Amino acid sequence: MAVIEFKKVNKHFGTGSARVHVLKDIDFSANAGEFVLILGPSGSGKSTFLTIAGNILSPTNGQVFINGKDISTYSTKERESLRLTDLGFVLQSHNLVPYLTVKEQFELADKVKKSGNLTPDNLTGLLEQLEISELIKKYPEQLSGGQSQRVAIARALYTDPQIVLADEPTAALDSKRVKVVGEILHHLAKSQNKAVIAVTHDLRLVEQADKIYELNDGKLTLKN
Amino acid sequence: MYLALKEIKHEKLRYSLIISMIVLISYLIFILTSLALGLAQQNTSAIESWNFKQIILNKDSDIALRQSLLSEKQVEALKIDNNKEALIGQASIVAKSSGKENISANFIGVKKEQFLYRELKLSSGKLPTTSHEVVVDSSFADKGYKIGDKIYFNSLKTPYKITGFVKNAKLSVAPVVYGLLSAWPELKSVTPNFVASALITKNNNYSVPSSELGSYSKQTLIDNLPGYSAQNKTFTFMIAFLMVISLIVIAVFLYIITIQKLPNFAVLRVQGISNKFLIKNTINQSLILVISGLAIGALLAMITAIAIPNSVPMSFNIPLLGLVSLGLIITSVLGSLIPVQTILHIDPVKAIS
Repeated sequence: MAVIEFKKVNKHFGTGSARVHVLKDIDFSANAGEFVLILGPSGSGKSTFLTIAGNILSPTNGQVFINGKDISTYSTKERESLRLTDLGFVLQSHNLVPYLTVKEQFELADKVKKSGNLTPDNLTGLLEQLEISELIKKYPEQLSGGQSQRVAIARALYTDPQIVLADEPTAALDSKRVKVVGEILHHLAKSQNKAVIAVTHDLRLVEQADKIYELNDGKLTLKN
Repeated sequence: MYLALKEIKHEKLRYSLIISMIVLISYLIFILTSLALGLAQQNTSAIESWNFKQIILNKDSDIALRQSLLSEKQVEALKIDNNKEALIGQASIVAKSSGKENISANFIGVKKEQFLYRELKLSSGKLPTTSHEVVVDSSFADKGYKIGDKIYFNSLKTPYKITGFVKNAKLSVAPVVYGLLSAWPELKSVTPNFVASALITKNNNYSVPSSELGSYSKQTLIDNLPGYSAQNKTFTFMIAFLMVISLIVIAVFLYIITIQKLPNFAVLRVQGISNKFLIKNTINQSLILVISGLAIGALLAMITAIAIPNSVPMSFNIPLLGLVSLGLIITSVLGSLIPVQTILHIDPVKAIS
């Protein structure tokens, strides 16, 4: 069963002559254990797609299902709760709090989500898998771009979400690092049975993806 | 609280500067409050020590003890219970003694058989027993006067002997010299038919037999002391304005800090962290900053209190300073509520490219 599904999702911004149709009749689904790539150039609607998948914005019309539940009509509080428990985000800005060490980034998650987070042993395993165990006491400003990205992935997975949404996860990384990040996202989809959805314009990630969609001018098409 | 503490720990310089600013504001408020209280006490400490409810003054005195005169006839008409009523005579004097600084003071004459005489609290020595013996405020001791010293008042040639010292005996910022009422007419230079300045009573409902006399509360007497109300209002306004300024300064700083953190807050909102958590964090942070600033400001004020010379009329009243601190904490919480509106409008979409 699809853990996340879009049915005829449309999104408009603005009104009157300034009205822009950003997403057009989007049908999309991702299953647990899949690494799904949404490819598209700038302005194609990737970020809007991600904000709707991430339950930050509501579609103008159409339905979005997470674990079979229609979330299109959720209240702000229900959306926050869903984002906290079922969704993990890896953002271009690395979603790390600048004044917290790597270890404290996980402690913050414990403060806001009291249960269901990774156990210390599981976290240790994840950090080893991402090769960032030795960075635990460092602040984000002391990390390289690649290290920050891997810490952000670990942070996104710490709350044990079913769906991981990644926004341009390879932005500003060299080819070698792009491959590593691609492998990590692919591996965590398989090893942890997560649905990993990455929106990007970076074609270097296609090798690791299970499913590739292309978003062009608001229309989503499955490429493989 | 978690985020607040971690951020302060990481951004030491930034938050130290903010705390320093709060330290300076709170220190200034503490010092001004203590100065206001000290000056107020120098106006009223003698009156406060008399332990009375009503004062009977001549109506023509404009509720001023130093302008009031009671004639023998008026006093005879007054019902006086020595345990509840006491006559007092006030005279402005200049105390002199060879080799010592002249001191402008208030002479207060009392009667031995009345409660005020019995209730005078001496810090040393003994009460006067003859009309040429006096007990004086302890500030006389600071200027070299001792028990047994002979002092002269105004241009009078007859010496008075100091038999003791009284603590905190000040009236209209001048030290008080207590003597017997029998010495008062000479010091006041009044004709013998005037026998006192006023009658004080412990009775709340003392009935005044003459239309020439008026009965006033202790507070009314204090409020009518020359310059007292104006001085207090000035200090109150200064402290109130400082409070308002501190509210604005704290609010501006917190607003700027919050604006700088908006990108981080947007990311946290994406992750499902609620506005409530972020707002609580912001308010807690301002509380930590203000309480730290207040604690350091209070410590500095205490050091000042120890170091400052006795001649500076400062009084450190812990409950009052506690109240001022509470006022500052409340203003800081109000200040921290201003950026809350900004937090409520954080758009998590902005965290997504």
